[in-house]
Formats: sequence, C-alpha cells, structure tokens
Amino acid sequence: MSDIKIGVVSCSGEECFGGTISRLATRKVLEDLRLGEAVTICLPLFIAGGEEERNFAKVYPTVAVDGCSKLCAMRATEKYSGKVNAVVKVDEIIGKEKALEKVVSLRELPSDYMELVDKVAQEICKEMDKISSDILKKQAEEELKNSGECSGGCCCCGCK
Amino acid sequence: MSKVVVIPCSGMGKVYGLLAREAANKVVNELKKDEAETKCLAYIVTGDDEIRDYMNGKKCITIDGCPKMCAAKNAREAGAEVVEELKSTDFAKQMRAMKPGTATYLNEEGWQVVDAIAEKITTIIDEMEGK
Ligand code: SF4
Repeated sequence: MSDIKIGVVSCSGEECFGGTISRLATRKVLEDLRLGEAVTICLPLFIAGGEEERNFAKVYPTVAVDGCSKLCAMRATEKYSGKVNAVVKVDEIIGKEKALEKVVSLRELPSDYMELVDKVAQEICKEMDKISSDILKKQAEEELKNSGECSGGCCCCGCK
Repeated sequence: MSKVVVIPCSGMGKVYGLLAREAANKVVNELKKDEAETKCLAYIVTGDDEIRDYMNGKKCITIDGCPKMCAAKNAREAGAEVVEELKSTDFAKQMRAMKPGTATYLNEEGWQVVDAIAEKITTIIDEMEGK
C-alpha cells in the first residue's frame, strides 16, 4: 500500500441511477479496494464548510466520479476547491441510457448492479494508481536530481 | 402548487447521509410522487444558472446528516425557500437506532429510520397543502 492519499469526490446524484452507481462504486473503493489510500469529502461541504474543506483538492490529488454528463462533482470541485487530476464518467462506463434511468432505492437495485459498481470501482482504482505512479515517478526524479546522482543504465554522462 | 423539492445531503462518509438519501427517494418515488421531487444536490452546488433559476423561490424540505447542514445551506444559497430542515441524526436518536448500518448499506434498523423520516416529510407536505 502506498502512503499517498488520494481524494475521491463523488456526485451521489439523487435524480438518476448513475448517481447511485457513483456513490456505491466510490464507497467500494473507500472501504474495500483502496482502504486507507482513498479519502473522500461530502461534495456540498465545499459551500457549507470552511477553509479546510475548500482546500481538499489542493491538499489531495483528486478523482471526481460523476453519474451523468453534467459532471457536477468535477465542476463543483474545480470551482470551489482545486483542479481534479482525473474524472470517472459513469455514463460512459454503464451507458448513457442506463445512467439516466430513475434513481432506485437500495432496496430495489437491479440484479446486475454489482457488476456495474465493480466496473466503475475498477476505473476509479485505475485512475488512482495512475496518479500514485505519476507522483512516485516525480518524487524519484526529484530525489535523483537533488542527490546529483545518475540513474545509471545506458547513461553516457560520465558519472560513476 | 408546484412540487415541493426534497433535498437530502446524501453525505458520502456517513450512514446518516444515506438515511437522508433513501428517505428522500421514498418520498419522491413512492409516497408523494405527484407532489414532491428531488434535485441532485451536487448539481445545486455547481451554482449553474439553470438550476439556480429552477430552485429560486421553490419550497424545499431538506434532510441533513450532520450539524454542517449542507443540504439546507446549499438549497438556500440557490435561492430556495427552505420550509423545513430535518436531521436524520435526530430521527435515529429518537428511535434509539444506534447502528443503522453503514454509509454503503442500511440494516433493518436503518430502514425503520428511513420510513420514519419519509413519513414525517409526507405529513409536512400534507400540511403545506392544507390536508
Ligand atoms: S453528474 Fe448528473 S447524476 Fe451526478 S449530481 Fe450531476 S446531474 Fe446528478
């Protein structure tokens, strides 16, 4: 497990099924697939909260998860907090029509919902891993630069 | 009368957010289909003109899951008239539902709290309509 914490901000959309899947996939990442690596914030806290909440996307590299093409999580995060590193578009994963279906209670979820949740959760993890590896790569490059050492391999700079 | 907008906070990190979300869902899709609707809170947060215009002056019932009162504050910020601010925590406390589930799934205790919140909203809407 890497020490890097990554923010996952989900839309939780109350009007359509895509919002339900956003929420469930984000929860799966938080409490199962990337337990301890993923952190979240309630999106409406960007307005209702204070400075600390508004700094969320400045403190953490962030993945937005959106239920439909309105991309509310991404846009609200960028408007009030900071640039997101990636966006997971649920409607592109489960299909626009399905995403825009009426929201259903957790008591009435369709039989294939877990499959959809898994697909979206995997996509969130993929984006998180990419962000982590980019950060680690950058850190390693910085360290090398600061130590003045060469990375070796087929280097021809003349260092030992 | 135009439809009452029921807005839950849906808080991602807490079971109380999920209680609020499910209660709103029960009201707008089951108990008060013709009198109530919901709007995505995240959409309201974006502050887009379209949703601000829609919310402006609309009668709202909000359900929040913690003292930050995100749903109530954001609805007001968007220009809505919040006629009632409910807290799912109050319902859980009153019903002594100490462990209503998680932020992902509810248990039987949780569903009872959902039903109680939904009933309360139904009563409020009936009163608003002079029933
Ligand atoms: S992205 Fe779509 S589903 Fe999510 S909050 Fe916005 S309008 Fe609702």
